[in-house]
Amino acid sequence: MPHHLFKCSECIPEREKHAVIKGEGEDLSDALPLGYLNTIPGTISERGCAYCGAKHVIGTPMKDVIHMSHGPIGCTYDTWQTKRYISDNDNFQIKNTFATDVKEKHIVFGAEKVLRDNIKEAFKAFPNIKRMTIYQTCGTALIGDDIEAVAKDVMEEMPDVDIFVCNSPGFAGPSQSGGHHKINIGWVNNKVGTYEPEITSDYVINYVGEYNIQGDQEVMQDYFKRMGIQILSTFTGNGSYDNLRGMHLAHLNVLECARSAEYICNELRQRYGIPRLDIDGFGFKALADSLRKIGLFFGIEDRAQAIIDEEVARWKPELDWYKERLKGKKVCLWPGGSKLWHWAHAIHEEMGVEVVSVYTKFGHQGDMEKGIARCESGALAIDDPNELESLEAMRTLKPDVIFTGKRPGEFAKKVGVPYLNAHAYHNGPYKGFEGWVRFARDIYNAIYSPVHQLALVDITKDEIADTNFLTQNLISDKDLSEEVKNSTTLREYTGNYDSVSQFRTKEYPEFERTKKAANS
Amino acid sequence: MIDQGKTQLNQLTDYIMKNCLWQFHSRVWDRERQNEGILTKTMQLLCGEPVEKETPADKCYWVDAVCLADAYKENFTWINDMEKEDIKTLMKELKERIDFLTITGSLNAELKDPRY
Repeated sequence: MPHHLFKCSECIPEREKHAVIKGEGEDLSDALPLGYLNTIPGTISERGCAYCGAKHVIGTPMKDVIHMSHGPIGCTYDTWQTKRYISDNDNFQIKNTFATDVKEKHIVFGAEKVLRDNIKEAFKAFPNIKRMTIYQTCGTALIGDDIEAVAKDVMEEMPDVDIFVCNSPGFAGPSQSGGHHKINIGWVNNKVGTYEPEITSDYVINYVGEYNIQGDQEVMQDYFKRMGIQILSTFTGNGSYDNLRGMHLAHLNVLECARSAEYICNELRQRYGIPRLDIDGFGFKALADSLRKIGLFFGIEDRAQAIIDEEVARWKPELDWYKERLKGKKVCLWPGGSKLWHWAHAIHEEMGVEVVSVYTKFGHQGDMEKGIARCESGALAIDDPNELESLEAMRTLKPDVIFTGKRPGEFAKKVGVPYLNAHAYHNGPYKGFEGWVRFARDIYNAIYSPVHQLALVDITKDEIADTNFLTQNLISDKDLSEEVKNSTTLREYTGNYDSVSQFRTKEYPEFERTKKAANS
Repeated sequence: MIDQGKTQLNQLTDYIMKNCLWQFHSRVWDRERQNEGILTKTMQLLCGEPVEKETPADKCYWVDAVCLADAYKENFTWINDMEKEDIKTLMKELKERIDFLTITGSLNAELKDPRY
């Protein structure tokens, strides 16, 4: 597994240890990129800051909370509506954002008074919301504003409100990941155990590291409800503040994004003895295994199997339709932290694509271990990538599509490579059996879009009649066998544009309780 | 795709590395107990021996072990014809291999951090 130095990074030779090419027959003991080190100034890194990791990734998906940034307006504005963590309370936490709008004079003279005024003003403006999270930013951290003291004062004045203070200014870590850690530990230290939600089932889980991007959490919640499992709390997508204070009561922590939330799972295991089960919500096989394991834990594996059988029968013919047309296509899997390992093996096995590169913007060496273990030999693995290296990789590897964020996605489009939004999806959700087909459909649409041909036509010179316009099907099916083209079992996606809203009004079976917990 | 030409040990190892996550917790002590817990129970299941699953921790290892044992029996049918002692020997080698890849031979510097 040789290290790889990009030509554009020859002036920063330390970058060589951040990229490796997985060789044939090699394993993780041969080489591993460095990870979670300080960003090299001037590299045009793809990373964000620790405030972003705490507030934008983990904090703000909590739906029944006023999320207040204590700092300049830019921190709040740039983390507002730039992530699709929807919720079933009309997206309160996406529609509304709150900031103390700290200005230069506050930096000089202190901003605690303006914080106190803003907290009270926000609660008054939204009298039905009684919970708040306050996020420190670089400026207010540097001047030493005691946010906790202010919050404590307000809670004494207003006993029906509860406030969580997150001390994770932007400089508190090398990347977003530093913020994940701070809010995980802050929440388990200060809030877990302070409230006891009602227990409504014999089978109680915390669903951890799930942020309800375009409805992912609601898809998974549907499977759990069909099994009679109570999601006591989701950390934190579509999650409720008070339920998250009751995390200590669950029987099992089901962990999706280990990068952002393994910390709280580990602490809950140490402090309360709640075991941690790592799962994959993406991919038919991985998801089936995950549901089965959760079912086995509670002795209800027959319920899990019934769901798996039903969903696979419904959606496999559609997944296979796309697989026939995506086989051999080259993909760069360039997400933030954990999708390089959630997706690498699953998209190769179930969609037939070749993953030619994986990267992680803010992941640790553990994420690289998982990602490199799951990708095929020949893949280029990059830690803390930057814009110039990404462009060089695209020119060299010539992928057919890139899965990445919308910012690097834009420069990918400029060099003629289509991209799909790996963070917030194009037409998600992508979790679940139906979601995986939606993902395959988006990949198909990206690769086979007629725009790639049409964009090359110069309408000032070329006759439109000579363009020989090809539809998507004509492009994707030209090398397929007649048997596949005319298959009566395989079919394109037949789901609805909105596959999530149905869950909010769905009726679920009642399961008899065999034991009652003390607080149910 | 399962490559039937690879050695038995490599087949079992590759299956874990491609499909499982339990071996990749973030600290040495955590990986030691994960590997011990799950691979011991997998061996017991393959050998038809009783498995402890009374505590929540044991039950959590057991569920991963059930799925792994079933996957081995389905994908590597040669294992169904093996004698118990040979399975135990092979599973011991597998544990050593997984311990090497994820603990003793791992280049992950964070594993040695004493706190989570």
